[in-house]
Amino acid sequence: MSEERSLRISQVGLRGIVGNGLTAAHVLDFAAAFGTFLPDHGKVVIGRDPRASGVMLREGVVAGLLATGHDVIDLGIVSTPVIQHSIQRLDAVGGISIGASHNAAQWNALKFFGPRGTYLNSAEAGELLDIYHLKKFGFEEWQTIGQRHEDPTATDHYLDDLARVFDLDSLRQFRVLVDCTNGTSALILKRMNERFGTQFILINEPLEGRNFAHEPSTTKKMVGLQLAPLIEHVGADAGFLFDIDSDRVAFATEKGEAVSEEMVLVLLADLFLQHRPGRLIITSISTTALLDDVAARHGGKVVRVAVGRQAAIDALASYRPEQIAVAGEGTGAVMMPQFRFVYDGIASMLGILSGMEKLGCTLSQLVGRYPKYSILKGQIPLETHRIPELLLELEERFPDGERTTLDGLRIDWPGKWVHVRVSQTEPLVRVICEQCGEPPRALFDEVMDLVRGYTA
Amino acid sequence: MKRVHQLKISVSGIRGVVGDFLTPNLACAFAQAFGTYVGPGPVVLGRDTRATGEMLEHAVTCGLLAAGCEVVKVGIAPTPTIQVYVSEIRARGGIAVTASHNPPEYNALKLFNREGLFFNHYERNELLDLYHQSEFRQATNSEIRRVVTDMDTPTRRHIARVLAHVDAERIRRRGFRVALDGVNGAGSRMSVHFLKDILGCDLHAIWVDPTKVFPREAEPTPAVLGELQKLIGRVSAEAAFAQDPDGDRLAVGDETGRILDNDDVLALAVDCALRRKQGPVVVNLTTSAVIDDVAARHNCRVYRAPVGEANVVERMRAVGAVIGGEGSNGGIIFPAVQYCRDSYMGMAFILDRMAETGQTLGALAATLPRYYRRLGKMPFEHGRLGQMMQDLETVFPGAQVDRSDGLKLMMPEGWIHVRASNTEPLLRVAAEAKSQEALDELYGKATGVA
Repeated sequence: MSEERSLRISQVGLRGIVGNGLTAAHVLDFAAAFGTFLPDHGKVVIGRDPRASGVMLREGVVAGLLATGHDVIDLGIVSTPVIQHSIQRLDAVGGISIGASHNAAQWNALKFFGPRGTYLNSAEAGELLDIYHLKKFGFEEWQTIGQRHEDPTATDHYLDDLARVFDLDSLRQFRVLVDCTNGTSALILKRMNERFGTQFILINEPLEGRNFAHEPSTTKKMVGLQLAPLIEHVGADAGFLFDIDSDRVAFATEKGEAVSEEMVLVLLADLFLQHRPGRLIITSISTTALLDDVAARHGGKVVRVAVGRQAAIDALASYRPEQIAVAGEGTGAVMMPQFRFVYDGIASMLGILSGMEKLGCTLSQLVGRYPKYSILKGQIPLETHRIPELLLELEERFPDGERTTLDGLRIDWPGKWVHVRVSQTEPLVRVICEQCGEPPRALFDEVMDLVRGYTA
Repeated sequence: MKRVHQLKISVSGIRGVVGDFLTPNLACAFAQAFGTYVGPGPVVLGRDTRATGEMLEHAVTCGLLAAGCEVVKVGIAPTPTIQVYVSEIRARGGIAVTASHNPPEYNALKLFNREGLFFNHYERNELLDLYHQSEFRQATNSEIRRVVTDMDTPTRRHIARVLAHVDAERIRRRGFRVALDGVNGAGSRMSVHFLKDILGCDLHAIWVDPTKVFPREAEPTPAVLGELQKLIGRVSAEAAFAQDPDGDRLAVGDETGRILDNDDVLALAVDCALRRKQGPVVVNLTTSAVIDDVAARHNCRVYRAPVGEANVVERMRAVGAVIGGEGSNGGIIFPAVQYCRDSYMGMAFILDRMAETGQTLGALAATLPRYYRRLGKMPFEHGRLGQMMQDLETVFPGAQVDRSDGLKLMMPEGWIHVRASNTEPLLRVAAEAKSQEALDELYGKATGVA
């Protein structure tokens, strides 16, 4: 994709290719804006993923926060869920995660959290952006400037909480192969093995700043290429693959079969609904229709919102926590009420392993209990502004389906649907097509061709 | 128009009141310009003890990393120590986060080239142009280098360089009783180590806690050294030293509790240096003629440079000076250690001379020719300066004239120096003569014209 257009400043925060769009000046301005946005003089928790550029970003973030009068608690290299956990533990007023999650090594990003580690809602994120654009920051005078402290205990406290929710002793029976993609999951799982005797066998474990062993995307394709072929070889009961900041996960069964990343949310939704029937599943309109089957089986309901974290966060705010079973996306990013609605790949993995333990079945048996759905996902670089025309032609081409215009255009037929939308994070058009049974190859190809006609 | 004095971005770097004026954003951008200018390599970064130092240190680190430099953090360290270390490790350059003798609400970036010298005039202009163009080098993830920390070596290297030029053993044998006022500055820990552990003094120190605020005005002038003077009396100190927050300036007190005139301290240091090796001496135009007398005893020549450390250093390099400095502001520059103001070399010279001669510091100072000096300032009026300088020349016909920095008129009975301040909207007037009466007459005549 075009590197000149890498910088993206939005409600989700700041993201871009370092040195090629994302600069030190952006980082300082954003950190100063966040420090101005937060309540006066509260402490702020920060952490980063292992990218080399993370040190540069961290220095700018620390300077901006100290200058606006906030003490900074630096957790060092930790996962994003650990940062969110520490915000609550330390009673901080907010936090910043420095890391580009599932993007390649040259990317980096800042994600912002409010008190209790929650994501900013749209109104808060909008205010932060306004301060950033106005560039009138609340810098303090020399007597009231902040100080930086370190806290190396964050991961241990996070593990204590995981152990409260999941019965880690009972999970010791599983040999689990984990591809850490040189990211922060390695730190957590190594420590979990030490403290709880779990058997996570880690590959691509060393933290890497410049080159990850492979693209850090949590997809079935990546699991199939990198992880699945090794599983039978080591005799593992399951295989999991994490992105760099461990908020997403993808997996493969003990037979070495890569499973669709959509199934993370499906399995967790099913496991939670079994115990708490009737609750809601909050997800995007791009997630598998299998969720509707699962919800129906337990008297639950699927609430579908626009794609992206922000829409899910805003939707969460309109329900009481006890109404919700689980929230998440088809990308392997799932939030659970037990974990304060934080996208957490490690917790998701423990949830799936707990399901295997409770039901006394293998992972392939667990996954095999569902009707077969086939999903095809495509992306096409976007170089035009002709999206409205494209969506119009799609409607005309498929007049027989049921239309949803919540985010781009989704067209539904019985047992089949297609969704076309513009990515929020990159200049891309995304096409997702799903069918109960065999892959909807013909429909997918037709839509992809049609999209290509409008994007170049 | 209301003038903004709280922030100054100039050829001297960037300096201002932290908060609404000197922001981390500015510091980061300036550091990135610096990193772009010196190129992708190691850059030494240190700071004094100001409360805003840590914040600015992070902002500067961010800018340097973004420009592709490796950052070598030395933490809290005196400016001369940072400069020595830059030259020792062959870094691309160095930055000291310090506002030197300015009040605590101020901070600034001092910039050094690969030899650990202040940027010269041309380098400073180039850097400033680069900053204004904002076209910085933007390192990518594969080009961004690391931050390394070295808190101990800089002190060790600096002290080793100083000790090469004095007889440390004979100082240690004397076990001098010494009083120290560290102003809770960057030199606090190092000065205690240097005087007590290295030079074996019986040290009585006040204000050597780098975590505390400055307990007195930052510039070590006699008017603010009352506590040190009391300490001299209380412990019967044989010598007393006071530093500024970044350890480049030195004030000296003798056994009677008197704070020596800074020109005399420089004169003592010049004497020490020329005893070891003869050669040219460079001082600024406002420095006392006592330097000329001392140099004459050693048959050495004195050159004069415009006011400002960078100007003096430039001239010292040009003439191959053995020692130099600026009298009135307490700066001793001894290039065999480093081309920078260095309070540590000053302390070592004084103690070494005391050990060598067995004389008291007061007695040593008394051997210097006596001059009478007066420094003053007047409000500056734009447009009147040229006329005033011409008038001054007519008032003192036959005077030898130097126009390299304002106007200096030299007469047999003394001299007058009038110049516009670089940092404030003021005219600085200095005069010196061999008697109080002659001084009053000179000074009166000069200020009468203005």
